[in-house]
Amino acid sequence: MTDANIEAVQRKTRQRLLFTGIHLVLYFSFTLNWTSWGERLGGYLGETRLTGSLLMFVVLVLTFIALETIFLVLSRREAQ
Amino acid sequence: MQRLVFKVLPGLALLLWSDFILAADAISGASERQAVNPIAIGMFLLFVAFTLYVTWWASKSTKTSSTFYNAGGQITGAQNGLAIAGDFMSAASFLGITGLMYVGGFDGLILSLGAFGAWPVFMFLFAKRVRNLGNFTFIDVISQRLDRDPIRLVTAFSTILIVIMYLIAQMVGAGTLIQLLFGLPYEWALLLVSVLVLAYVAFGGMLATTWVQIIKAGLLLTGVTLIAGLLLADSGFSFSNLLGKATANHPGGDSILRAGSIFDDPVQILTIQMSMLFGTVGLPHILMRLFTVPDMHQAKLSAYYASLFIGYFYIALLVLGFGSIAYVAGNPEFFNDQGKLIGGSNMAAIHVATAMGGDILTGFMSAVCFATILAVVAGLTLSGAAAISHDVYAEVLKKGKPDPKTELRLTRISVLLIGFAAVSLGIAFQHENIAFIATIPMVVSASVTFPILFLSLFWKDFTTKGALYGAGVGLVSSIVLIVLGPQVWVSVLGNVEALFPYDYPALFTMPASVLVMVIISLQDRSERGSIDRENYDRLLVRSEFGPSVTEAAET
Repeated sequence: MTDANIEAVQRKTRQRLLFTGIHLVLYFSFTLNWTSWGERLGGYLGETRLTGSLLMFVVLVLTFIALETIFLVLSRREAQ
Repeated sequence: MQRLVFKVLPGLALLLWSDFILAADAISGASERQAVNPIAIGMFLLFVAFTLYVTWWASKSTKTSSTFYNAGGQITGAQNGLAIAGDFMSAASFLGITGLMYVGGFDGLILSLGAFGAWPVFMFLFAKRVRNLGNFTFIDVISQRLDRDPIRLVTAFSTILIVIMYLIAQMVGAGTLIQLLFGLPYEWALLLVSVLVLAYVAFGGMLATTWVQIIKAGLLLTGVTLIAGLLLADSGFSFSNLLGKATANHPGGDSILRAGSIFDDPVQILTIQMSMLFGTVGLPHILMRLFTVPDMHQAKLSAYYASLFIGYFYIALLVLGFGSIAYVAGNPEFFNDQGKLIGGSNMAAIHVATAMGGDILTGFMSAVCFATILAVVAGLTLSGAAAISHDVYAEVLKKGKPDPKTELRLTRISVLLIGFAAVSLGIAFQHENIAFIATIPMVVSASVTFPILFLSLFWKDFTTKGALYGAGVGLVSSIVLIVLGPQVWVSVLGNVEALFPYDYPALFTMPASVLVMVIISLQDRSERGSIDRENYDRLLVRSEFGPSVTEAAET
């Protein structure tokens, strides 16, 4: 194996772990809803019946997809 | 007007896996056999006829073990993404999550996020690397680096355990569900599921299994889109209005829009999230799908498309969950003489389909639910058969040089045996409390499969000895803590208080397993340990660039 290959893979590994780390922090932040720190999430957003907790669920789903999109774009750019 | 009784079934809080909530109502006795539904049966027969045609088509190109296990690697990323999504968008996800939201509102969403959260991790860590290193199963990947015979035997054992436990839960849930939806007797329902699954898998292999899953996933997405669209249209296309109707109908009122209706312990939530995320990523029948695509780029795309479909599905279920409270609760059409929801909370999703689209939409969704069971059981059966015929027979007993015809024959025999076991165990456990059986696959997957796969791909010092000891600790601690937990210690054995307070112990068993793997690997000074470490760089480069780059570098 050449050093360049291993270096490239190690760089890629760091990127994989970074994305996973960000994802896990966001994912486990959902638990806040069941703690006293997350009480504010239970409040309504403006005049709607939508609560911060419900918004958090939708935002997390969309953020995870966005993270994957960025990861995919970066991988494609590196491959080129 | 009949009074709506919102009651969290004692076992429900303990049965958090969407795939297994169906079984919860079976245990609680909430299921009731329904009248025969001719529209549902007609639509289901159409599905069966079409998928059998697909199986006949697939059987023409399923002549070798390779095409049997991985569909000849001819599935595209988008198709495979839909098939992977189909594995998780099961009847139980649709019925179970909607049912849990019907009972507790926001708290039901922990299942949705738990099931969805696994896919980004699957993509970041595994999709490309597993695809580049394996051929048919994830066990191929780890045995490239670690001592192949012992590691194959241990992981094949955990795979078969996961598949059998998962199958029991699926079959009990399937029998109950089909009884509910179609009015068929439980035993006949299991037999029907088994015969159809055997036809798909034994003749069409992975190609037929994948296409059955794709067709079903497409139908399910169509169905939930239709129901969600009708719910929103009836609320003036305002989700806020829909939530207003739901809170007005639920005895919990506004509290169902925030956390705390069902769960109040953050540690319980954490351990559920941990089990769902890492358990899903390590499921053998999901990992096996990475080998059905032609290359690593399509593997990554598979994971990406799976996320898109699953994310969309769970956002649609958010509408269905609150829609079921808004349109089913308080509607006497859906309650029996005792004032209970007909069929239990799992039927809330079907009732909301009835409320929105009448008999035709009810028939369609019932047929789709039956189809989802067939597709999920087919995937599990194939995965179990591959562990027996490929991982144990071909790779361990025949040292990687099996007679191809014998291997294919053994695969088909394994499919028959697994099918027979699934029906027998499904009937045997019909009246048993199977909550703990449903918990085992996810916890074992999170505590055994995930750590071994992750450390073999990402840690140079990982050795066979560390993997074997860690797997042992993961397996034993998972079983022991589940037995000491409320599902077995209280519900099955009849004790007053559980010795371990949580139903899903992955928060404790997974770190224990990883810790033992790390400590033993670091202490390992054996010759085999040195080989395992030396193998890492070669494996690492191949995992990122594919076999061609590695071979070129070595020549």
